[in-house]
Amino acid sequence: MRARPWPPSAAKAKACCAATYGSEVMAVLLGDSYHPGGLALTRRLADRLDLRAGERVLDVASGRGRTALTLAAEYAVDITGMDLSDANVALATDAAQSAGLADRVRFEVGDAERLPVDAGSFDAVVCECAFCTFPDKPTAAAELARVLRPGGRLGITDVTVNPDRLPPELTGLGAWIACIADARPVDEYVALLTDAGLQVTRTERHDTTIAAMIDQIEARLAVVRMTARARAEALGVDFARGPVVLAAARAAVADRVLGYALLTAVKPR
Amino acid sequence: MIAVEPTSDAALARPVPVKRDRAEVFVEYTKSICPVCKIVVDAQVNIRDDKVYLRKRCPEHGQFEALVYGDAQMYLDSARFNKPGTIPLTFQTEVRDGCPSDCGLCPEHKQHACLGIIEVNTGCNLDCPICFADSGHQPDGYAIRLEQCERMLDVFVESEGEAEVVMFSGGEPTIHKQILEFIDAAQARPIKAVNLNTNGIRLASDERFVAELGRRNRPGRAVNIYLQFDGFDERTHREIRGRDLRAIKQKALDNCAEAGLTVTLVAAVERGLNEHELGAIIEHGLAHPAVRSVSFQPVTHSGRHAEFDPLTRLTNSDIIHLIAAQLPHWFRASDFFPVPCCFPTCRSITYLLSDGTPGTPGFGVVPIPRLLNVADYLDYVSNRVVPDHAIREVLEKLWSASAFMGTDTTSEKLAAAAAALDCADACGVNLPEAIANLAERAFMIVIQDFQDPYTLNVKQLMKCCVEEITPDGRLIPFCAYNSVGYREQVREQMSGVPVADVVPNARPLQPILTESPYGSKIAGSGVGHRPDGGRRIAPDHTNVGRGIR
Repeated sequence: MRARPWPPSAAKAKACCAATYGSEVMAVLLGDSYHPGGLALTRRLADRLDLRAGERVLDVASGRGRTALTLAAEYAVDITGMDLSDANVALATDAAQSAGLADRVRFEVGDAERLPVDAGSFDAVVCECAFCTFPDKPTAAAELARVLRPGGRLGITDVTVNPDRLPPELTGLGAWIACIADARPVDEYVALLTDAGLQVTRTERHDTTIAAMIDQIEARLAVVRMTARARAEALGVDFARGPVVLAAARAAVADRVLGYALLTAVKPR
Repeated sequence: MIAVEPTSDAALARPVPVKRDRAEVFVEYTKSICPVCKIVVDAQVNIRDDKVYLRKRCPEHGQFEALVYGDAQMYLDSARFNKPGTIPLTFQTEVRDGCPSDCGLCPEHKQHACLGIIEVNTGCNLDCPICFADSGHQPDGYAIRLEQCERMLDVFVESEGEAEVVMFSGGEPTIHKQILEFIDAAQARPIKAVNLNTNGIRLASDERFVAELGRRNRPGRAVNIYLQFDGFDERTHREIRGRDLRAIKQKALDNCAEAGLTVTLVAAVERGLNEHELGAIIEHGLAHPAVRSVSFQPVTHSGRHAEFDPLTRLTNSDIIHLIAAQLPHWFRASDFFPVPCCFPTCRSITYLLSDGTPGTPGFGVVPIPRLLNVADYLDYVSNRVVPDHAIREVLEKLWSASAFMGTDTTSEKLAAAAAALDCADACGVNLPEAIANLAERAFMIVIQDFQDPYTLNVKQLMKCCVEEITPDGRLIPFCAYNSVGYREQVREQMSGVPVADVVPNARPLQPILTESPYGSKIAGSGVGHRPDGGRRIAPDHTNVGRGIR
């Protein structure tokens, strides 16, 4: 049996993720505005899914709605964003209103492992930088498959990790790395989707996007050190370790241990 | 049965002609000028060996080619960072002969004036070997009077409504006896900030003058110093300025700090001379209390300058790569973004948040583009949806030719950008406040390649947002003013002394060049000399489709 360095259980992962995102310093470091690859990768995903005007699309873990609003505006799809956080749903709803897109974008509170929507009700489902955080991945994959109509397409962009080769600098990071540590290798995502009855049609590596994300985390860490060093240290940020960890993370990207991938799948007719 | 023609041995031996590929990728057709006689000619932009070149041919003076961007990928990527221009309130001229013969601004111009420049004199207390204005200790120049300055300011305000920045330049503006009155006149008008473009000699020696500038520097009406500062090697000073000014520069900076004046260090950068000093200039700026920004300008091969090779001149992308190579721990080329208000290949900017003093423990630098995805806001082509229009507006003001550290607008927008860096609303964090305070110590780096008679591309000129305000009430795009013949025209009008068109001191032109009375080069043949007047700016000789191979 393979030893997963961190976290030991799904329940603990969920707790760690909550703690991570609940911590103000961590929120600043990780941010929530940009997933790796940004809007450029979102557009690539949409093109790979061949989204057409008027199609019904579900965005799982929609955050503040950037992916959903972009797809609605640029691909003229009818899109529902679903997120666990009430605050995110409220912010995204406001953003849709002010963008004049409320007629084809809506946001609702919902859990990826129990999507509150009917089976077969979407032409496409997208999920960006979130699948890795779902503690019960087989259940989440089954839910994504359930809500697609036969012939419907799933598009995922997400962190990939080869847990066996993750360097110790990255496993000892506690909450910061909690979410990344439950990311999987591409093969494992493929297996999860296949087991859920989907047919994987494409996998692409976009590892440079995670390198850019590491740059962003490094920049944010530097700003936190400049502005609120004492407070951040009280919350457990170890600035001396920062460069070591970031160097290890960059090396992990270079060694293809840590990366970012785009996957598409189709639900058989 | 079909008879087969017998094939002779000779026919077999004849080589089959093989088509060859051109050695370059053709990317643009545009207009430029002949660097010698200044007629308007067709021009091509081509990419060769990952570099971008502009080529043109004058029927009389032959073919010219110059490097315009050292990194073809960056050149092409920059095209997305181009925003719709803003129409100024007034135009000063009409369209008659077309660009660049009708300046300006004519109704075909695509952008308003982000920055207006008033040259108050041609005289200078230096005689630098490199001076695009061809200034110096000269007996036959001119200096404007107060009422002329007032008229120039009024023209600017008529065109802009509320103007962001006017820059007083020269010559050397600080030796004009009425320079403080000029500043007062600007501050009495709806012009938010005044920049004084100076070599610093008077700032170093006349503390009362510096105090007067400091007194005028107030909220809503900033006075900032744009200080010529080319590097630290003695050779740099001798070859660019003709004198070792190092102690003077330091004293000028210290006096500015004393008077609470904000300074931009402005470096003219020449290939083979001071290109190795970019990192040191940035570090020096970060360490000095008066300095909030650095501007790097490849030497403009207009006016007076050292002999150069147009095919290996420095461009914006070269400067960016040099900065990244000299300060690899702080910068990457991707930290710099093109400015969308002018043509995006003209100017690139980045901002830093910094804390502490370079070389001391705990010093930190973070380029703002690593914290905020600038492309999501300033890429006007890819983004049909802008995540947040308020943030786009903030970044537009920061990535602008009107952005100068020390102005209220730039300070406000930096604070707003800092506040947008994180998720205050979601997390209830107090960090934005701390970051906003840090923004007060933000640092700006600008890279601006001005066009010269070799590199001039009418496409860029038509969207120029840096304008020379002339005493006769025109707003002339800076690079047209320096390249096409307007500078010579204005000097002739103001001084009453004929001025021949200046020709670049380029290596291929050496056989036809002779020295002008001001140290610049002019055509030995008499082309561009008009002792009896009759100057016509840039007559059109375009012949679309022919002549440039």
